[in-house]
Amino acid sequence: MEYLLHIAIMILLYIMLSQSLVIVAGYSGMISLAHAGFYGIGAYTTALLSVKLGFPFLVNLPIAIIISGLIAFIISTIALRTVDDYFIIITLGIQVVIFSLMNNLMEVTNGPLGIPGIPAIKIFGFWFDSKISFLLLALALAVLIYFILRYITKSPFGLVLKGLSEDEIFTKSLGKNVYAAKVISFTIGAMLAAIPGVLYAHYVTYIDPTSFTVDESIFIFAIVIIGGMRSLLGAALAAAFLVILPEALRFVGMPNNIAANMRQIIYGGILVFMMFRYSKGFIVKSQDK
Amino acid sequence: MPFQIIINIIVFASIYLLIGYSFSLVYNTSKFFNLSHAGFLVLAPYLLYLFYKILLIELTLSIIISVILILIISHIVNNNVFVRLKARSSNTLILLISSLGLYIIIESLISIFFGTEKKLLRSPEIKNIYEISNGFITLINIFSVVSSILLLTISSIIIGFSRFGLKIKSVINNESLAKIYGINIKKISNISFVIGSGLVGLSGILVAFDTGMTPTMGFNLLLYGVVAMIIGGVGSTWGLVGGAILLATAQHLTAYYIDSKWMDAIAYIILILFLIWKPLGFSGKRLKKIEI
Repeated sequence: MEYLLHIAIMILLYIMLSQSLVIVAGYSGMISLAHAGFYGIGAYTTALLSVKLGFPFLVNLPIAIIISGLIAFIISTIALRTVDDYFIIITLGIQVVIFSLMNNLMEVTNGPLGIPGIPAIKIFGFWFDSKISFLLLALALAVLIYFILRYITKSPFGLVLKGLSEDEIFTKSLGKNVYAAKVISFTIGAMLAAIPGVLYAHYVTYIDPTSFTVDESIFIFAIVIIGGMRSLLGAALAAAFLVILPEALRFVGMPNNIAANMRQIIYGGILVFMMFRYSKGFIVKSQDK
Repeated sequence: MPFQIIINIIVFASIYLLIGYSFSLVYNTSKFFNLSHAGFLVLAPYLLYLFYKILLIELTLSIIISVILILIISHIVNNNVFVRLKARSSNTLILLISSLGLYIIIESLISIFFGTEKKLLRSPEIKNIYEISNGFITLINIFSVVSSILLLTISSIIIGFSRFGLKIKSVINNESLAKIYGINIKKISNISFVIGSGLVGLSGILVAFDTGMTPTMGFNLLLYGVVAMIIGGVGSTWGLVGGAILLATAQHLTAYYIDSKWMDAIAYIILILFLIWKPLGFSGKRLKKIEI
């Protein structure tokens, strides 16, 4: 039962992560491979604040969101000077820089040793230390993120994002500030990605930089692609599928390390396969709906 | 500045140069960021490991076999994935993501068959060290510098002076015009793809001889090559040389004066700085991608 709850919590965390990437990659057409970096920023912020300064969860969460948003804002004003494949390379670069900061700033982040002893979440005197209570908290936040994103994507701003991802110059000619819209969308994505980061840190109670690598970014991006780029529910289903997959492979009797690699092979294969489906571009798909 | 740094810069710059050159050969003719290149970079030394260390075939022969296998595999991959995707008129982004998927598959297959721990091609103790005015260089380093410069010169000469090279250049320059003149663009970009993969495989082998190999080493190395290519300016060989030297210099000065753990970060900081102030690289060839 504990094991099933653990998987359910991991699924919820990845649902939140992939949903926050849907608005960046799906709606605004900016394929970002730096998302695990923002996830990590959220986790590290709350870990440092609660272990070193003893701040409560309800204070850490907004601080983590703001820090992640600020960093994303500064980064995106620079990175969004480029488009398409150059943008991907830049976000990869950002991901590596964030990872090296976590890994090398020994005095602050404790480097590869990580930060142990992160306390469980406590809200108004109630401890979320059992798995079932944590699951409910994560579920509440996931639902909140879903509705925030649903609201944004259905709003006029969401329409601007859709427009710019389909034809940037045309959207510009309608008098929309494309650059600002992109920066805002990237920043929102990063802010929302910090939330699962905070939850993750309090859930596992020990974090180290290896949870926030490029591979993690690629994994989150694969969830979004498999979910259908612009579909929030699709991303949720894809997250569930990809998190359960290695567990299922282990259940079939595959050794641990091979199961992890098999998952990589399967989602790599799905990525290639999905590209055949999307070969006319991601836009055509949205027009069908 | 000690002489050792200069030696290190030369050794690393030559590797970045070879990787960047092979990558730009594919990028310029196929027009997309082929991340599966990193897969071929790791696959080649692992194939060599299989033939040389496990099947105990003689070294030169196993190098030849592994490079030929890389050529064949990259040809199959290109024909079955990228050519087909292009035939469906996919844009560069689609091609990039599918190449990322392929890279993941290659990397995981290697991890399954060979394990994730570090493998060495040479014997663990370092032999044949030479001293040049207080700097040390190993025979492997000398070999890798010489062979990457040699490979680069040969391929530049082929592209610069042969009829086939002229065709490649015409495809790079103006694809539709080349088509009108009856050049088989598909064939030319296929051949460039295969040659590029072979070259990057060789550079992977050179790296593996020096520092050993892990299944995940390809991505970082490839990105260094890409950074060298971008800061040098896409499509310019001399710019690439400058970019590789600049990147290696910056990394090793950082390693010497600050700490070697910042070598990864500094490469991308340079890339980001370049994209702010000199988005076209220092050779300055115009690119539509950068500005809309």
